[in-house]
Amino acid sequence: MIFFQPYENPFYFFILFIALLPIMISILHGKKIHIYESLISLFFLFLTFGGPSWKQGIALIIYTIYETCLTFGYLYYRKRKNNQLVFYFTIFLTILPLALVKIATAIHNQKLSLIGFLGISYLTFRVVQTVMETRDGVIKQLKLSQFLPFLLFFPTISSGPIDRYRRFIKDYEQVPKQDEYLEMIKKGIHYIFIGFLYKFILAYIFGTLLLPEVQAAALAQRHNFLGLSWSLLGVMYVYSADLFFDFAGYSLFAVGTSYIMGVKTPMNFNRPWQSLNIKDFWNRWHMSLSFWFRDYVYMRLLFMFMKKKTFKSRITAANITYILNMLLMGFWHGLTWYYIVYGLFHGFAIVINDAWLRFKKQHPNKLPHNRATKYLAIFLTAHVVCFSFLIFSGFLDKLWFIPK
Amino acid sequence: MFKKLFKIFGPIIFALLIIFLLLISPFNYGLKKVSNDDQKKAAVSLDHKIIKGKRIKEQALGQNDYVAFFGSSEWSRFDPMHPAVLAEKYNRNYRPFLLGAKGTQSLVHFLNMQTITNNLKNKKAVYSISPQWFVPKGIRKDAFNFYYSPLEATEWLLNESQTPKDQYIAKRFSQLLDPNSDHVLHQTFTRIENGKKPTKFQLLYIKMRHQLLLNEDRLFSSIYISNRNENKIKLCTKQLPPTYDYNKIYDLAGELGKQNTSNNRFGISDKFYRKQIAKKVKRFKGFQAKEKFTKSPEYADFQAVLETFAKNNTDVIFVLPPVNQQWQKYTGLSQQEIQNAVTKIKFQLKSQGFNHIVDLSNDGDIPFFMTDTIHLGWRGWLYFDSAVGPFLENHHRPPHYQLNNHFYDRKWQQATVDQIVNFK
Repeated sequence: MIFFQPYENPFYFFILFIALLPIMISILHGKKIHIYESLISLFFLFLTFGGPSWKQGIALIIYTIYETCLTFGYLYYRKRKNNQLVFYFTIFLTILPLALVKIATAIHNQKLSLIGFLGISYLTFRVVQTVMETRDGVIKQLKLSQFLPFLLFFPTISSGPIDRYRRFIKDYEQVPKQDEYLEMIKKGIHYIFIGFLYKFILAYIFGTLLLPEVQAAALAQRHNFLGLSWSLLGVMYVYSADLFFDFAGYSLFAVGTSYIMGVKTPMNFNRPWQSLNIKDFWNRWHMSLSFWFRDYVYMRLLFMFMKKKTFKSRITAANITYILNMLLMGFWHGLTWYYIVYGLFHGFAIVINDAWLRFKKQHPNKLPHNRATKYLAIFLTAHVVCFSFLIFSGFLDKLWFIPK
Repeated sequence: MFKKLFKIFGPIIFALLIIFLLLISPFNYGLKKVSNDDQKKAAVSLDHKIIKGKRIKEQALGQNDYVAFFGSSEWSRFDPMHPAVLAEKYNRNYRPFLLGAKGTQSLVHFLNMQTITNNLKNKKAVYSISPQWFVPKGIRKDAFNFYYSPLEATEWLLNESQTPKDQYIAKRFSQLLDPNSDHVLHQTFTRIENGKKPTKFQLLYIKMRHQLLLNEDRLFSSIYISNRNENKIKLCTKQLPPTYDYNKIYDLAGELGKQNTSNNRFGISDKFYRKQIAKKVKRFKGFQAKEKFTKSPEYADFQAVLETFAKNNTDVIFVLPPVNQQWQKYTGLSQQEIQNAVTKIKFQLKSQGFNHIVDLSNDGDIPFFMTDTIHLGWRGWLYFDSAVGPFLENHHRPPHYQLNNHFYDRKWQQATVDQIVNFK
């Protein structure tokens, strides 16, 4: 028996194609066979979480039962009552396994702890979102036969994109028309092949071939002031390129596979390197995550601050919320100084960005606005982002603090 | 609908067909011949891609007068007395094909030999073996994974027959190889280690993968071969006298050594000292005092190499290079430990009929023998050449080897020098 990480190699895609063939045929004939889809989902989950990773498989099963009970239990309660504390406590319980894994990882030195499994973060995002929308009253009923396929949808299980329950169910239950579906297959195949270029060629060049070289060169010059060197600049660019092509490639595989299964999973990247400013960047980079944080953290925090009038000015409230929001995202990446600094860095970057945008609004005619300033903006934004990725990479930790 | 489907999937099917034709089919597209120039560059390039490949090695060793020189980082120390320079300058009847770079040890060479067994048959070879390879843990995992070649591994798998050697090799591979590099091969190694044959699926996979890697090697191996070292050799030949004269070259070696070792008291070449040592020289004081070379899996890895030589009736000369003695005193490396390893290695060689041994391990105190801390240079290379050169120039005499499988045992790997007497 062979086990895989999702989208690991050409053989995985071969198996994937064979498995998707009956789904394609049935949708082209105007039918969706949910039982077959579920079996295929289970099979691919087994490929990832069976064999040598069986402990993760057990953790996934226990996690799924636990979160399902919580979600359905909360819905049962919500139909009768709506106490704020019960809601908070439920959210606390849904996040608890993820939080424990993050803490255990920080203590146990980067190893998945007993309750952890690949993709636990992304499952937690889906659950939290479902519970919150249940509280909002937007989700009025849940069906196990819909909730489980949503939670365990195999193309996106390990690293997203993070779909929304109501959106997913609409696609899941609907059978696209033949013409529309052919268009979806075309797009799906196109995405997967762009993904091949990104993940297997470009990410390989940057991550496997170049990154170790520049890292070694930078480490060789670690005795410089703060370890600064031209090679360190190289690490920054090469790591950023690797991170983008690796993750964007993976996301394209996930979206492409979803399309072929008749589900329009949202895109994760929209030309992030053309962003005009940091806010724009977060509307283009890892979009399903940043939108999740926007909708379920930022908006809700800000709304609460405004309602309670915690801060005098709207601007202060917004700024504090930005920083808290990004800080939380930093914590979510992991409990190390560089993830947290990365979060804070982006929080402050957005605050500064916001101040600048207000300044521009107040002085509409004083500042030039032409093609050159546009390219300058793109250049600056890309470099601020690349610098933040250098922090994120943890390489500085190695360079500064870990003795040879 | 079918028209649209064909538009979507047609290009993919077409692309797969091309890939199949290029990579899976056993045709060789007339790409077989490697030009003499490329062979010449490849023989001294020390490029890991060439070490891991097949076509270039096979042709150079098969058609021309190249001889396989197995070793490690010493091959990259080019000076006028380097064996490749002397062979070129004096137009000897052989040219070295240098197989080895930083971190290559016996297990890598065993793999290395798999693609050139036909070229070792009834031929000569040179094997430079450093006592410092024999550390308690054996070859480093990262070095092994770097030099691991799936082409060579599948070639071995297609020929293995569950002998004690094969089981031992499978065990080592499954210990050292990163499972993620190829799950199927990794599981195959585990099976063989446990005395089982590969499954039918595994065999099919191995055959397919082997064909694919073979075609990859055919298509891409000679795309870019660096001529950097070849140029270095050309420059070096100019410094040598027009006809071979040992005494003249010995004096030249002394002179060059003197000129190039002026900035330190260890007799290390200036450039190496400046780049690698000067800034942190204090850190090296005593840093090798605890190194041990008596107990190591490397002894059994070495046995797999010896068995391969014996099976192919290869006449091999073994060279045991020394360590720079002044440096050795500074770092605290124990000469006793080195000699323990030398004793064990020699016993393993002689008791099985490998009698061509050039032991230089006590010569680290000769001035200008070493070019840096652990690598032969000037006079050292000349000593090397005056033993290896005549051996290679003489006719092949069929060797008589008697193999002993107990050299794979843990008992031998862990044996102390005193225990050698009892070893059978």
